[in-house]
Amino acid sequence: MKKISKLALFAVLLYSANAGAQGKWYTRNGKINFFSETSAENIDASNNEVFSLLDQDKNEVAFQVLITGFKFSKALMQDHFNENFMETSKFPKATFQGVIADPSKVDFTKDGDYNVNITGNLTMHGVSNKVTIPAHIHVADKKIAGESKFDVKLADYKIKVPEIVTQQVSDKVAVSVNCQYEPYAR
Amino acid sequence: MRFISTAVLLLLSKIIFAQDSLSQMLDQEVNKEIKGKKQYSYATFKGTHLVNSRTIETLGKHELDFRVSHRFGDIAGDYGGEKNFFGLENSTDIRIAFDYGITDRLTVGVSRAKGATAVRQLYEASLKYKLLRQTDDNSMPITVTAFTNAVASSMASNIKANTPDHFESFADRMSFASQLLIARKFSDRFSLMVMPTWIHTNYVIHNDQNDVFAAGIAGRLKLTNRMAIIADYFKVFRNSNSIASFKENGLKFYNPLGIGVEFETGGHVFDFTFTNSTAILENQFIPYTTTSWTQWRFRWGFNLSRIFSLKKSK
Repeated sequence: MKKISKLALFAVLLYSANAGAQGKWYTRNGKINFFSETSAENIDASNNEVFSLLDQDKNEVAFQVLITGFKFSKALMQDHFNENFMETSKFPKATFQGVIADPSKVDFTKDGDYNVNITGNLTMHGVSNKVTIPAHIHVADKKIAGESKFDVKLADYKIKVPEIVTQQVSDKVAVSVNCQYEPYAR
Repeated sequence: MRFISTAVLLLLSKIIFAQDSLSQMLDQEVNKEIKGKKQYSYATFKGTHLVNSRTIETLGKHELDFRVSHRFGDIAGDYGGEKNFFGLENSTDIRIAFDYGITDRLTVGVSRAKGATAVRQLYEASLKYKLLRQTDDNSMPITVTAFTNAVASSMASNIKANTPDHFESFADRMSFASQLLIARKFSDRFSLMVMPTWIHTNYVIHNDQNDVFAAGIAGRLKLTNRMAIIADYFKVFRNSNSIASFKENGLKFYNPLGIGVEFETGGHVFDFTFTNSTAILENQFIPYTTTSWTQWRFRWGFNLSRIFSLKKSK
């Protein structure tokens, strides 16, 4: 009798613990691209190791990306990006934590395409800014895809462009994010 | 009793778990992922050379480095001073080089140098391969690169026998430098390198050495993101026989010491340097530096590098 109640309690606790992971979606290979365009030079970089969690019940999202994961077509640019612009050894990550500002516009349980706004804190180069970015959510076959395009002004994050390369580096870069979420199994 | 404690423990773990915010959960996932992954140190040095020495750096795949180096005449002393504007009106050596990255680890190069000893009109072919890479978690604490070159002189042979430029065959025109470059990036600001070196010269005059060994040490200290102090020094090991023989002809060997300031401007690296050595290639400045800092026989020099990326961007 004692043994059974013990087992039952254990099962109940286990179930409730697992319930915490339900309604959450996860990816560790989301993609971020950024693009800087000037008349002198176009610079593009991509990172295929974006970590993200999405909580469909609380309408929360979280992103993390390692700065060293950004790959440039030119190796020299990558060194400059890490050493001079992002100071990667001091600030190894960029993060975003936000909530869906208009949760009524999205139904994660129903297949479809939804356009929402996400408000939250974008942190990079040691500087946090409150931003609102548009996102497109695609729900199909029990999977969720998220997509977003927005601009980042370098000055907002105290990323200094040396005078000598202002011709080559735009003061504003276009960022695009693309994540394919799977159900989160802890 | 044990039952209760188990239940409390489980309950506690549940509470702790429930308090995790989404970003904390993500933190855990990311940290788990990073742990197993190696991150390699980057930019131990800026570019493939310091003042006189090479560095452990190889070019990125499909990158082309165009490099011009210049050494002027003695600043002062018997051969310098106002009469040749502190050496600036003389050039002891000039080198023009192209290096290309076959892979991120293998760089090949060709160069032409004026040459600063009796042997001039030098053509160089070189290979550089990065053997080991320093990792951020220090499971590999150093970066090791192997370098080797072959240098041939195209000058007319001196008809006088027992002179350094008396060539009886093509092989007599050749010399080789081989180095193991071992460096550690100690911090974002400071990197240090040691360089065991072997110079082989196919043809040397009587009592000179075909093989000369040297131990080099070099460092770079970043002052700002764009400016650094660079220095390198080679302790040259010559046998007493060759030292005595050259002394009879009034020549004394010195260890080459170079000090410079390095400016980096996104794609360009410019080194403004001082060194007592006159030659630019290892094959000459390691065995044959006969000018000393102490007699004002050092000189201005510069190295200029421009890197072109030949990879098509998407």
